[in-house]
Amino acid sequence: MKIKYLLDEEEIPKKWYNVAADMPTPLDPPLHPGTLKPLSARDMEMIFPKALIQQEMSTDRWIDIPEEVRDIYRLWRPTPLYRAAALEKALQTPAKIYYKYEGVSPAGSHKPNTAVPQAYYNMKEGIERLATETGAGQWGSALSLATCLFGLKCTVYMVRSSFDSKPYRKSAMRVWGADCFASPSDKTNFGRKILAEMPGTPGSLGIAISEAVEDAASHSDTNYALGSVLNHVLLHQTIEGLELKKQFDLADDYPDIMYGCCGGGSNFPGMVFPFIPDKLKDKKDLRMVACEPSACPSLTKGLYAYDFGDTAGMAPVIKMFTLGHDFIPPGIHAGGLRYHGDAPLLCNLVHDGLIEATALQQNEVFEAATLFARSEGIIPAPEAAHAIKPAIDEARRCKKTGEAKTIFISLTGHGHFDMAAYDAYNDGKLVDYEYPADLVKQSLAKLPRV
Amino acid sequence: MVARVGKIGFLINPIAGMGGAVGLKGTDGLAAAALARGAKPQAAVRARACLHLLSQEPSLLFFAASGEMGENVLLQCGLPYTVAYTAARESSSEDTKLACRAFLENGVDLILFCGGDGTARDVANAAGLRPILGIPAGVKMHSGVFAISPQAAAELALGFVRGELLARDTEIVDVDEELYRAGELQTRLYAIAKTPYQPVLVQERKRIYSSASEEEFKDQIALFASEFMRDGSAYILGAGTTTARIAELLGVEKTLLGVDVIQEGRLQQKDASERDLLALLDREKSVKVIVSPIGAQGFILGRGSQQISASVLRRIGVENLIIVSTPHKLAELPRLLVDTGDLEMDRILAGKRMVVTGYRIAQRKETAAASALHI
Repeated sequence: MKIKYLLDEEEIPKKWYNVAADMPTPLDPPLHPGTLKPLSARDMEMIFPKALIQQEMSTDRWIDIPEEVRDIYRLWRPTPLYRAAALEKALQTPAKIYYKYEGVSPAGSHKPNTAVPQAYYNMKEGIERLATETGAGQWGSALSLATCLFGLKCTVYMVRSSFDSKPYRKSAMRVWGADCFASPSDKTNFGRKILAEMPGTPGSLGIAISEAVEDAASHSDTNYALGSVLNHVLLHQTIEGLELKKQFDLADDYPDIMYGCCGGGSNFPGMVFPFIPDKLKDKKDLRMVACEPSACPSLTKGLYAYDFGDTAGMAPVIKMFTLGHDFIPPGIHAGGLRYHGDAPLLCNLVHDGLIEATALQQNEVFEAATLFARSEGIIPAPEAAHAIKPAIDEARRCKKTGEAKTIFISLTGHGHFDMAAYDAYNDGKLVDYEYPADLVKQSLAKLPRV
Repeated sequence: MVARVGKIGFLINPIAGMGGAVGLKGTDGLAAAALARGAKPQAAVRARACLHLLSQEPSLLFFAASGEMGENVLLQCGLPYTVAYTAARESSSEDTKLACRAFLENGVDLILFCGGDGTARDVANAAGLRPILGIPAGVKMHSGVFAISPQAAAELALGFVRGELLARDTEIVDVDEELYRAGELQTRLYAIAKTPYQPVLVQERKRIYSSASEEEFKDQIALFASEFMRDGSAYILGAGTTTARIAELLGVEKTLLGVDVIQEGRLQQKDASERDLLALLDREKSVKVIVSPIGAQGFILGRGSQQISASVLRRIGVENLIIVSTPHKLAELPRLLVDTGDLEMDRILAGKRMVVTGYRIAQRKETAAASALHI
């Protein structure tokens, strides 16, 4: 059986796919956090380069990938599509399981797919430094790498819980020349305020975003960069799904169901968006399932409403499935999935029923990751493992029904920096968190309107 | 720099633990019977195992009860002490209380005692807010003031008097020994005491939060509860310090060892009995219950809040049972326990249950029927 489906470097896509061109319901515009009026391009210029703002607002179906960006993509792209033959055997399933592995990038995840173009456009517009936040450290590593390749400086605000548990992530950022601080930090007004109010807080992506935005907004040579949620991030990530379509052609196969982990939304939308036209125009019977942690289940338990993108209320107000911008999720090991909301493009498609979502507990996720590692060899990042668990469940269902479904797993990265999490799982110390959705709903129903 | 001298009050219940080995399920009022059955005094051995570890510490001063109630063991271990209380030749629980009062008059930082749940009750009654710590030597140790071993008690005592460890509130529970001997397990919550504790790290490594912030989590739980409790329902609040924090935030005075009813932020009924609760269910459309784990074994129902009986629960509906606990306490418990006295109800309650552990945060925790565990 053929295991790897590889594309040649020349087959790296030359254009990104913009799903905004094909969505049945147009996207609700982002609002200014102060005026609550639709955000203008000028509002965004304080922290983003013009080229990215254009992409953010564009409804063109295809957007050119600059050659300089493609040249750097060549370092690891196209990424391999694997047939998980050993996992299929372990499960004794008639289902065919495939996974596309983004862990082959220098930073070990899919995040450089957007870090590289973001650093490139900022460099072209004369920006000298980028400020950003990072949850699990994957985005921080990726942007450190990308800024380093284009000669920019980089400041990373890393969520405290990950900063302490994954010391080697910050070591990697340092090698690539970036400064990395634990968030909340004493470097920004907002960080100092949070530290005073909650000295022992594990931090959150929402807080770290506020710090990075404040840093960028208060320095003229500095812009902000975000590794998920925004339209241009999802746009850049579609390079994954565009490659994947060609690889499924090579395999002479097509997925029945696709799983990807989802925090703020970057890898999962990037992988599945290029398949949306198949579903809309060709009426393909394809299920796409976003996999999120039960501790932070924005798509499955959140409210579809306008909310702030960050904790301080400085970032744009966007329409999304949200648990509330003041929600600080518990310090789970899949740090990259601890975001209170989700990408507006993705939420729009979930709301329209084109994409599904499911929520998973830590222990079952690590159990599935261990089975995967013992059959396929790769030790998955805890985030990525959220997609493995339901895929295994589906394959087991196929065993019962005898169906030979084609199941796809988006494997976003390796877990080499997450060994403390695997140790905790093996020592029986992982807590299964839950989001008390009914009680929260009850509490919000009678809350005084501010 | 001269280290500050830590003052520790020390007493032993010399008969503690004797009943267990000879099948008496406790020694209250039965010391002579235990001795007749061939029981050997255990407490002094356990106390020595603890104090022996403190004998190299120059900065400790002990205040003791006389003779076999403490003095003898201190002498054997070569520790510096003053006799603060002279006990009768055959000591009783009255001696325990009087010795504790004498310790308080001497300004001790901590009362270290060696015994079981009965001893813990007497010590807690006399100690008030002064921290106490138990060297486990009794037949039953359901109270949260006991260290897991005599050796652990030595570490905790030392860490506390050195100022390295904090004290927290814990429940003093005891079993009715007469009923227990008759085969019925009836535990009651007798008091809340302060006890030193080792910060148990809730997630592995030091990163997420240490136990020092347990009080912050109580505040988070209380804030969340104060928000979801505005739905018009009547809320039955079980016993314990976590539920008490909810009442405190709402500005309501809680019966610490009993069950209160709160509706729309106002106290409806104080220290309600089972009958009161059944009457409440007759008048109110929507009634919900908030309980937290009690004691070292984590009972959520059947200990400390017996008023919330199986018949009350059945009418309220299990879906309206809300469990709250700090993540720290939860991490120390292998599981939650229920013992409603109704096997069918216990069975319904068993399994994974949601426990609110912070502001809009919950965990899943295994819950078991005590009757199925033979504890």
